[in-house]
Amino acid sequence: MRNTERLCLAHLWLAFVAFVGAAALGAWQMWVRSPLGAHTGTPGEYYMSVTAHGVTMAYVLSTFFIMGFGYFVAVTALNRPLPGKGWAWAGFVVGVIGVLMALVTIALGKASVLYTFYPPLIASPWFYLGLVLVVLASWVWCVLMLVSMAGWKRENPGRPVPLAMFATVANAVMWLWTTVGLAAELFYQVLPAALGFVQTVDVGLSRTLFSWTLHAIVYFWLMPAYIAFYTMVPRAAGGRLYSDTMGRLTFILFLIYSLPVGLHHLLMDPEHGNSFKFIQVLLTAFVTAPTVLTIFTIPASLEIAGRLRGGRGVFGWIVALPWDRPMVLAAGLSFVMLGFGGLGGLINMAYGMNAMIHNTAWVTAHFHLIYGGTSVIMYFAIAYEIWPRLTGRQHQSLAPLRWQLWLWFVGMTVMTLPWHWLGLQGQWRRVANFDYDNPIIASWGPLVIVSLGGGLLLLASALLFVRNLAVLHRSVLPAPARALYALAVDPPQRVPAALNGFGLWNVLVLVVMLLAYGFPIAQFVVAPSPTAIVHRTE
Amino acid sequence: MPEPSQPRVVDRPWRIWPSVAVMAIVLSGALLGILIIPVVQGASAGIDAYTAICRALGILPGSPASPQILNRNPPTPVSQVAWTPSVLQILAEAKPERGRAKVQEVCTACHGEQGVSVSPEFPNLAGQSGTAIYKQLNDYHTGSRTNQFMTDIAKALDETIIADVAAYYAGQPMRNPNPYTLGAPDTIVQLVELGDPNRNIPPCAACHRHGAGGPIDAPVLSEQRQEYLTSQLKMFASGQRRNDVYGRMRAIAAKLTDSEIDGLAAYYRAGLR
Repeated sequence: MRNTERLCLAHLWLAFVAFVGAAALGAWQMWVRSPLGAHTGTPGEYYMSVTAHGVTMAYVLSTFFIMGFGYFVAVTALNRPLPGKGWAWAGFVVGVIGVLMALVTIALGKASVLYTFYPPLIASPWFYLGLVLVVLASWVWCVLMLVSMAGWKRENPGRPVPLAMFATVANAVMWLWTTVGLAAELFYQVLPAALGFVQTVDVGLSRTLFSWTLHAIVYFWLMPAYIAFYTMVPRAAGGRLYSDTMGRLTFILFLIYSLPVGLHHLLMDPEHGNSFKFIQVLLTAFVTAPTVLTIFTIPASLEIAGRLRGGRGVFGWIVALPWDRPMVLAAGLSFVMLGFGGLGGLINMAYGMNAMIHNTAWVTAHFHLIYGGTSVIMYFAIAYEIWPRLTGRQHQSLAPLRWQLWLWFVGMTVMTLPWHWLGLQGQWRRVANFDYDNPIIASWGPLVIVSLGGGLLLLASALLFVRNLAVLHRSVLPAPARALYALAVDPPQRVPAALNGFGLWNVLVLVVMLLAYGFPIAQFVVAPSPTAIVHRTE
Repeated sequence: MPEPSQPRVVDRPWRIWPSVAVMAIVLSGALLGILIIPVVQGASAGIDAYTAICRALGILPGSPASPQILNRNPPTPVSQVAWTPSVLQILAEAKPERGRAKVQEVCTACHGEQGVSVSPEFPNLAGQSGTAIYKQLNDYHTGSRTNQFMTDIAKALDETIIADVAAYYAGQPMRNPNPYTLGAPDTIVQLVELGDPNRNIPPCAACHRHGAGGPIDAPVLSEQRQEYLTSQLKMFASGQRRNDVYGRMRAIAAKLTDSEIDGLAAYYRAGLR
């Protein structure tokens, strides 16, 4: 077991150390874009910083956190040792090498292409190869999650897989599907250009393949938050999960509907006709289904806890909840941010409304609120929850933990709500600096300064988070043995085979992906479009 | 024997109904997106159903909801160079040794064998981007750019040897950076790094630096001859030189003051950038 704990801690610490560095870069970018820091730094430095920030947050923090948490769930929820621990460590080492390759290349100024690559911009091949290694490491993790669940099912025939593990495997299966688009883009378009074998890339095809990955990757990041909602929050609040079946359905719906929807990131792109944009926007509308199930199930679970604690009346149960516990507090704050972010997302997916906010700060605000807010605040809560189990030590005081979560929530809200508004005013994204001599841009200045304030709060919160975990390693209080995962009100004795595995759902994903992406990709092969000259950023 | 079959009885509807629901959603999306919406949109715009569907699928250009307006103005390109894959292939297969022979025969007298020019009015070519040299030689060849010496010389070169010469000079090392650059005034450094948004002038560095984000034929400006840069900027400003695609440099140069032109030329005459 000790070895597994070291494995989890290695993944999680790598994720969080990278996270603090990227948070500092984010704060610097806010400074440069504000009237206070205008004209500091060159555009080259700005894009280098944006690339490092995005790559670290999107690929390093998320992937290594999810891997570390997944190993933890596989051992604790299934109550059996992790198979293939050597493979897991090998995957970790490969991932670390990949991260170093990518980040060093960025720091040398040879890969300022942002985390979404933007072909025909082409970075040094070391950058892409580094990311390929990170993806390879994550595939090792996916296989180990599948092997763990299969082993448990062999030992426990007919019994339902614990929800935490079922959800983790759902995420692993989804990630395997998700990375197909990215891998195809890299190996078929970007790497041949980066290595100098070809002088042109098909930008439309590259963007289409990346869109395959681009939306589902967001759900890959979000899934740990939902796993915590369903399996940890009800127990932390002192109640039970309202429905185990709702949980399984939620994760299955995520698997099916997060993949065939990526074209809504290309609504303004000319390489696709309206028909398939429409089909995928319609499917995008169904991604809200699992979130609606969750908005129902989790408050219902919390209501059970609140009433058990003596809450009365329509809202009394909310007051009675133990808000001093980090997991409960984080879930509440996460839900508020999910509300704002989710409503903003509905606007992004609508063809007409998207046209108004396309390429503005609104979009940046949206994904910071959903990923940086809703998801990452739950990463914090999960870390606080599992760290005592990993280290055998207990938090000496919960106050700094609550401070950190509140700081993050306030910082994220103060940063992103003005961004949304500025986006509606037309403030564009992905630009290195603003000319505040221009009266229209000058009128944005005060709100940009407010959002900079939010960014500084986020940096403070990030530092406090790492401090809280570091302090725990030296705590003298031994961790009490207690259950991690919530029981359902009606614990399932047997569930339908469809809700206990992924065979049927993989077939459905394959069919839906063929229908949704078959024509949009095939058109590039049948009638190749004019290619673009690669633009090397080296 | 109802016991063993019971799980299968429970499992079956869980297999069938989700599949039916998911397929119904996708197919109703396809029915609406591929058939109904384009046909209805097309009907109100006077477009026949078949054309509307093809447009919605992206097989035919245009929108199913509005008639396609065609631009019939003949194009008037300022340069005949197009960066097609075949041109890039010629550049990729260029032979610097062949280029060296041609350089020794023709170019050395003015541009120097290593690409360091013999006189301030001729540009340095050492370490210049190959695509930039190719574009300019080609423009001289086709008459898009004119010069009393270069026009005749370039007319005698074919495309392959142009690529060879470009590859040869691109492979010559730049000289050591000259510390003169360090004394450049702030206003000039700002023009290079940030441009002047008030006058709609983009930063020079956005295009004229190795790995910058501009067109691939944008030349590297560092270590260029000051007099040459001054004269070219003035020729762009007056419209005497006009082989810049989309008139980018004509638009920028016309907004620069004489002292800025001198300052920029001095900044780039030799440099770390």
